[in-house]
Amino acid sequence: MKEHNRLPFFGLGFVVPYWKQYRGLAVAMVLCGLLGSVTDAMFPLFQRYAVNHFVGGKTLDTMGIFFAAYLVTLLLRALLNGSSAYLTNKMEVSLDFSIRRDVFAHLQELSLSYYNQNGVGYIHARVISDVDRIGGLCSWMLMNLIWEGSYLLYIIVIMLTICPPLGALLLLLMPIEAVFCFYFQHRLTRLGRQVREANSKVTADYNEGITGARTIKTLVAEGEMERRFDADAGEMYRTSVHMGRYRGGLRAVIDLTANLGLALILWRGGGMALNGVLAIGTLSAFTVYAINMTGSVQEVAEVLESLINAQVNIERVHTLLSQQPDVVDTPEVIARYGTSLQPKRENWEPLCGDVEFRDVTFHYPDGEEIILSHFDLKVPQGASVAIVGETGAGKSTLVNLVCRFFEPTEGAVLIDGRDARERSQLWLHSSIGYVLQTPHLFSGTVLENLRYGNPEATMEEIELACRRVCADQVIARMEHGYDSQVGEGGEMLSTGEKQLLSFARAILSDPRILILDEATSSVDTLTEQIIQQAISEVTRGRTSFIIAHRLSTIRGADTILMVKDGQIVERGRHSELMKRRGAYFRLYMRQFERETADRLLDKE
Amino acid sequence: MKQTRTSMLFRFLRGSRRWFAAALLLGLLRSLCAMLNPRIIQYTVDSIIGGQNAPLPGGVRRLLERAGGVPWLRQHLWTIALAVVALALLGALCRYGFLLCTALAGEGFVRSMRSQTFSHIQGLPFSWHMEHQTGDIIQRCTTDIETVKNFLSDQLSSLVNCAITLIAALAFMYGVSPRLTLVILLTQPILLAYSAFFRKKIAGQFQQCDENEGELSTIVQENLTGVRVVRAFGRENYEQARFDVQNEKVTAAWVKLGVWLTAFWESNGFLTGAQSLFVLAAGVTMVVHGSMTVGALLAMVSYNTLAGQPIRQLGRIISEMSKAGVSIDRLYDIMSAQEERDSEDALTPPMNGDICFEHVNFSYPNCPQTLYDIHFTVKAGTTLGILGGTGSGKSTLMHLLDRLYDLPADCGRITVGGVDIAAMRRDWVRSHVGMVLQEPMLFSQTLAENIAMGTKDATLSDIREAARIACLDSSVDRFAKGYDTMVGERGVTLSGGQKQRAAIARMLLQKAPIMVFDDSLSAVDAETDAAIRAALREQMAEATCIQISHRVSTLMHADQILVLDHGRIAEMGTHQQLLERNGLYRQIYDVQLSISEEAEAE
Repeated sequence: MKEHNRLPFFGLGFVVPYWKQYRGLAVAMVLCGLLGSVTDAMFPLFQRYAVNHFVGGKTLDTMGIFFAAYLVTLLLRALLNGSSAYLTNKMEVSLDFSIRRDVFAHLQELSLSYYNQNGVGYIHARVISDVDRIGGLCSWMLMNLIWEGSYLLYIIVIMLTICPPLGALLLLLMPIEAVFCFYFQHRLTRLGRQVREANSKVTADYNEGITGARTIKTLVAEGEMERRFDADAGEMYRTSVHMGRYRGGLRAVIDLTANLGLALILWRGGGMALNGVLAIGTLSAFTVYAINMTGSVQEVAEVLESLINAQVNIERVHTLLSQQPDVVDTPEVIARYGTSLQPKRENWEPLCGDVEFRDVTFHYPDGEEIILSHFDLKVPQGASVAIVGETGAGKSTLVNLVCRFFEPTEGAVLIDGRDARERSQLWLHSSIGYVLQTPHLFSGTVLENLRYGNPEATMEEIELACRRVCADQVIARMEHGYDSQVGEGGEMLSTGEKQLLSFARAILSDPRILILDEATSSVDTLTEQIIQQAISEVTRGRTSFIIAHRLSTIRGADTILMVKDGQIVERGRHSELMKRRGAYFRLYMRQFERETADRLLDKE
Repeated sequence: MKQTRTSMLFRFLRGSRRWFAAALLLGLLRSLCAMLNPRIIQYTVDSIIGGQNAPLPGGVRRLLERAGGVPWLRQHLWTIALAVVALALLGALCRYGFLLCTALAGEGFVRSMRSQTFSHIQGLPFSWHMEHQTGDIIQRCTTDIETVKNFLSDQLSSLVNCAITLIAALAFMYGVSPRLTLVILLTQPILLAYSAFFRKKIAGQFQQCDENEGELSTIVQENLTGVRVVRAFGRENYEQARFDVQNEKVTAAWVKLGVWLTAFWESNGFLTGAQSLFVLAAGVTMVVHGSMTVGALLAMVSYNTLAGQPIRQLGRIISEMSKAGVSIDRLYDIMSAQEERDSEDALTPPMNGDICFEHVNFSYPNCPQTLYDIHFTVKAGTTLGILGGTGSGKSTLMHLLDRLYDLPADCGRITVGGVDIAAMRRDWVRSHVGMVLQEPMLFSQTLAENIAMGTKDATLSDIREAARIACLDSSVDRFAKGYDTMVGERGVTLSGGQKQRAAIARMLLQKAPIMVFDDSLSAVDAETDAAIRAALREQMAEATCIQISHRVSTLMHADQILVLDHGRIAEMGTHQQLLERNGLYRQIYDVQLSISEEAEAE
């Protein structure tokens, strides 16, 4: 996770270009808000008129006009505030829409290194929750500020006009209330953050307590887990109750100032009314203003506080958007081959699949450790390379270089004899097939997923591909055949089934280079055989890089690369490496022991 | 104990009930304080300023007469202000107390809900854990608990509050002008029905927005997790288009919701405004005709405003109620599951005797039979090796020995030192059977804490010693913080081999008389495996050991070896005996041990 860039002015500068996109909307929204609050500020004046004129003059002569004027103001209020709410909502979703679109588009261009450094959850939160907060803040919060601020201004003007001494008196209360509100609001925000932290601890405890059930039971550690949980739950309880204290304090202060205003009005205003200086209607209008004023001051304090807090959200999104991709095509390459969004396929030469690492030295952009040092490897068209090693040993590095997800620090990766950087990323990617260990399917139908790598594939081609890897049996079992939904991430299918489908998908895109990350999970013998068959079917005739776990796959490879602690420690054919009795030999032995025991004991 | 949903809620409420009661009382008091202000305004306007004889409660009137009556009040207007401030202070205190008590009640309630569910889940049998999805349970423990809490502490209390305010406001209005109040009372059901109608529409649209947004979130999620597939197939363009379509859908749904919401707010505002106008106009007319005083009119207007708010909130609360009901049901599913419970007279015999499996048959619920007539004895202090493939039932044997599952009646029995383990206390059995699992779990705490887990009062030197025997010490030395290194989510990620060795150290520290290694060295290579076993033999000579593995070299030195095949004992004997038998064991041995020669021959 990276530190985010600090931005001045709460980061609002970031939003300005977006506001500009919706200039008309912004102006209309602010205008409606400014006018809407006028109508709201008017109502106590109606009350004042009614009491002073009708009651004071003991007459009902202008009642019709009064009634009509009141109704018209009500209507105007509904229209203006309604429009401003509608426009603000529209502004919010428009901001969400365009910021989110930009963030997503940028993510499509960012290098894989960004994804290696930041977890999916982290990036997802930037696209969804941060953007939501920014959208809400730069529309509703801002509108609230404008509305409540102007409302305060209007009633101050009205109060000072209809009775300057009483108005001035109420005005004095404002700063006092504001100070208290800010104080409480600030504490509440900080406590809120603490509560969220405590909450994530509690959730983590649940997670461990539930996923670790077997371990906990065998250790008889239930008591210990409960103690830890109670400590964390207690922490959350204390912080939350503390928060309740401040929430209570805030409301109490608001209530108190409102009534303090009322008391002042009854005291001074009552005196003035007794002396005949102040009409009863005016007095009554002030009692309403006193209460409404405190509410608005509190709103303003709340909005300002959340404005300060949303800075973080803006900065995080800004940091993401200003992240530069590590792998970019040069202008000359773009001129000839086009960009990923506008490719010039007519200029693309076909790709055969010769891959060569020439004197490659590599370290990850975020790491110091040299992973490859002056590494040479020639993989002729159609040959296969098996990469083996323990989990977490760094087996994916080579794959990342072949796919140009990363570029060598020194040296070059040659595709068909030319530096990969001389052609566009899309040119290369269009000829690569990728089958993941945990195959990734997208939610949608089976057919949509199969066509992912080749949208133009005909039904005949699809059926043939599925038959070749035995995926047709999987599809036949599904209720709607090719039109069956696979669910989010393919959750409706078993891992084995997903694998077969992803093999079919890879065949359909007919890649020259195939990347295959074999699954480690044990499947039953029959599925195992089917998958094994499918693998040899998919790799036939293609240059393939396989992160391998199955002995049969490994043995059949033209070259084996043994990776340990991120470095390639051994390379060669199976028989050569076995003779060497090194790391590969030990790894092979372990896997072999497992497979023999399984094979001999489970044979039917 | 059999319990119902209600008794479950009552148990959760234990300890927080008085806070709920206090909150209710304080809320009532605060409402009353707020209700008195319009009366004070009324009195000030009518009696003090208007000179009419407005009614006062008896006590206050006598007090006022003693002080000098209304003329005295005119001279000392500040006393009115003082009364308002005093009332306000009381009200503010009540408000503070109300919110504090609500927090104490709600948070106390949620805390006891959390602790009770957690402890209940810890006590549930292992079979329950196997039958339920982790994600779903966690969802229930977090989101559903939160929903129930919100309902009880926020919605229910504001429901009560709304009701109190509404009733009190109407009652006070009735005291001021019965006729006007009756008219207003008639309009309330219309407002409520109107609000309910909109709520329903809006709730539906909200759901639409949620669903659309959920889909958008899924698209992003899939795009991020599948980033390699997207790039490798060069489908950025397609992904962007897919995202844009959904992004537009979300926007459209929200705009539509905005229209509904705005229509609701503003029409509602218009209606309440119209009601205020009606009160004002009718009141003014009555005042002009002399059937109402000015002060009473002002009081009516204030009360009308006070009564307007709760009606609006009621609609929302009612719609939230059904959600809480669903959550309670989901929690009840967990809480009504039966916890593991030992009988009163459960035994705690010495555990250093022989282990006997006597004709054990077992099958998991709704599954084909796993174990068939397993019958063997492990003499105290000896080592048993179990050789088996994936799914041969070897782990099930150990689940039974550790009483993670109980043997049903008539399915044979398992004894230690001649005592049936079914008659013993579960924690007794488990704490005397040390077990290292194939995929051990470490907890997010320091390495030292992890190793000491399950052992009380372990000293650092004990921990170091255990780590040394498990060949973990050299790995630990490479960590900057050594044994204080945080493990798991917020710390370093250990490799599979390191995890297994940490789990072995954790088990060694328990000093259990029976030790089970369930395929627990599968992730370390043969040399480390041998080194650990040598250290173990030396240290734990008197313990009874069970080694499960698919590696003959791990098992060949055991006193007795058992070959498990499809839940049946295929062969049993010493290494030498089994080799001579020329059966399965021999075959596996030959293949595994001859591989090196084969490799050289290639």
